[in-house]
Amino acid sequence: MHPDPIPPTMTDRAIETEGLTKQYGEVTALDSLDIDVPTGELYGFLGPNGAGKSTTINILTGQLTPDSGTAEVAGVDPVAEPVRARERVGILPENGKPPSFLTVREYFDFVAEARGLDSVDDRVDRWADRLAFESKLDTLCTDLSQGERQKTLITQAFLHEPEVVFIDEPLTNLDPIIQERAKQFFTTYAEAGNTVFLSTHFIATAQEMCTRVGIVNRGKLLEELDPRDLGEETLLDRFFATVDTDTAAVDPADSAALAGEE
Amino acid sequence: MVSVRYLFDQLLREEWRMHARLFGGWRFAAFPVFLAALAAGTATFFALAGSETETLLAGLHVVVALVGLQVGSIGLVGRDALGDLLGDVTLLVFSARTLPVSERRLLAVFVVKDVLYYALLFIAPLVVGVAPLVVLTDLSVAVLPRLLASAWLAFAFGVGTSLLLVGLATRSRLLAALVGVAALAGGSLRPGLVVAFTPFGLYADPSYFRLAVSVTVPLLAAVVGFSLFEFDRTGTTRTAGNQFRRLTGLFGARDEQGLLAKSLLDVARSSGSLWKVLLSQGLIFGVVAILLGYIPDILVGVRPSPGLTLGSVLALGAFTTYNWLCQYDDAAFFGTYPIDLARVFEAKLWAFLLLAVPAGGFYLALGTVVFGPTSLLVGATVYVPVAVYVFGVTAYVAGLRPTELLFDTPVFMLFSGAVMAVLLPLVVLAIAYPLAPTRISVAAVGLSLVAGLLGVVGYRRAGPKWTRRARAGDL
Repeated sequence: MHPDPIPPTMTDRAIETEGLTKQYGEVTALDSLDIDVPTGELYGFLGPNGAGKSTTINILTGQLTPDSGTAEVAGVDPVAEPVRARERVGILPENGKPPSFLTVREYFDFVAEARGLDSVDDRVDRWADRLAFESKLDTLCTDLSQGERQKTLITQAFLHEPEVVFIDEPLTNLDPIIQERAKQFFTTYAEAGNTVFLSTHFIATAQEMCTRVGIVNRGKLLEELDPRDLGEETLLDRFFATVDTDTAAVDPADSAALAGEE
Repeated sequence: MVSVRYLFDQLLREEWRMHARLFGGWRFAAFPVFLAALAAGTATFFALAGSETETLLAGLHVVVALVGLQVGSIGLVGRDALGDLLGDVTLLVFSARTLPVSERRLLAVFVVKDVLYYALLFIAPLVVGVAPLVVLTDLSVAVLPRLLASAWLAFAFGVGTSLLLVGLATRSRLLAALVGVAALAGGSLRPGLVVAFTPFGLYADPSYFRLAVSVTVPLLAAVVGFSLFEFDRTGTTRTAGNQFRRLTGLFGARDEQGLLAKSLLDVARSSGSLWKVLLSQGLIFGVVAILLGYIPDILVGVRPSPGLTLGSVLALGAFTTYNWLCQYDDAAFFGTYPIDLARVFEAKLWAFLLLAVPAGGFYLALGTVVFGPTSLLVGATVYVPVAVYVFGVTAYVAGLRPTELLFDTPVFMLFSGAVMAVLLPLVVLAIAYPLAPTRISVAAVGLSLVAGLLGVVGYRRAGPKWTRRARAGDL
């Protein structure tokens, strides 16, 4: 049964964590992580592989429990009320996969049922037009190309127009035209007073879109900055200056990829 | 050009690493030991119950041939099914697109590797498990090597048959179905054919002719199957109307989050569609019917109650229905929506009942035609609660990944222990049925109702258990 709809948050804090810690056996994924994201921000969460980005998103969306620390997302504690927290947010997981044997349209109907929405036909049509997948609406998801799957997953994350959205590598497999449309949408969505939490390796994209960026490594938030304040310096320079690339096992030779030459 | 030997080595290594990674090395390695122990326990039980040794060994050949049938079809499983089952993995068998190796060659080596794997890790332990019969019955130690050889060949017979049917099916499904039905009918109506042309004959009545037949038939079937097999290179894009909306409309409040509709569509639209539910139960019905029909006095000179036997074994076989219902799901998918896993298991139970009850009911009705209505009513009454028990046990011990049952020793031990705790008493009651039909019927129905309640408890606990494990990052 769907609980009563939650009124929109009146707080100016969309995401707040304090001392968030998570261990996987001997490995420390999060080491007393403190994040504070105000409402209406397009927040970029940058870090090398294994920095703790996915673990953070999974905790903030109630998919994982931390070992210690507190979190609040859209006014809900995702540790204590994971299902309620997921009602409030949208999630685009990295390497996500829409259900194989539903058509794209049926998948959106499933999302609507799961989220207790009435009709989403109009929203689906708008998204199909925005990301150009009208012709795929009646195709089984298992038969979609990688790019079409990504478009489908982006749509489901925003279908209920959540006040906070977590998007993990949203531009993967999208062609340049659709990438631009998606970026434009994310920016507009945040400007409308919603919060977009973007986890990515594409630093140029983060510099272009984000209103604030957090650089994380080994489960710790190393620095937060507004990319617009960087002046001559690029975000990529700052990233390498902040992250200990030896311990992060990032090869600077891969900087072209990191810089967003998608 | 890459050599077959190299491909074989790499595929074998990949298979081991995949299972060792999934379940942990020792958990996977302990599986054959547990299987041998389980087989030994079963053989001892039936030997002490006075079963004919030859009947037990015939049963062993049937079981390994069925495993072969299953393995033959797994060798041809699609990339999507594996991906849905195991997550984002790429197996060497799918590398024909990027490497200069032919699909047919890769698949052939893959199947040979699978056959060797199962022959050593599944079939050999099952044969080792009948060793207690040497002490408990008149079975000679000298026969055991022949038994192992004929069991391996029976397994190969199953694999070959499966490959032949799958290969045929890529050309004509109707033809494949006709061949399958004809083979089953031939074996049922003329059991002599089974002895003459299957590896069981090599064990039962060894001769050079039977050895030649036992080796040639599986090989020939596999080669013909492979040469007939047509790889799908069309890249067909499948479309469908909005059945999801129709189903959620139909189920109304029973399916508030669309989980029941999604589960049913997964089964209906995946390979084999809804027919696979009926076919798998049909296979079980066929084997039990043959055993009941042609070997009427296998245990202590008494014919077991057909209804009670069919009801209990079909309920156990409904495990495969649960497997299909979960094959395309994982907890991580549901974790991205406001969906409580408890609701997922609830929807799975309804879907399970919607599929398993008609399928079981059909074969129980068929059993009435074949064996008469006397004990079938009891079988029908027992079927639903025992199926719910199997559902509850599976949901609790294996969650949404029941396939792990096959390889994860502790999970499999828990599952088999729980199932045996109900199935064995029901088998004993089925054997004893003719002695006191009314009282035994009441006892069987009572036992099944208790089991059904335990099944409900199991599935209700499955939600919180798997939610806890998912959130701990322990899946």
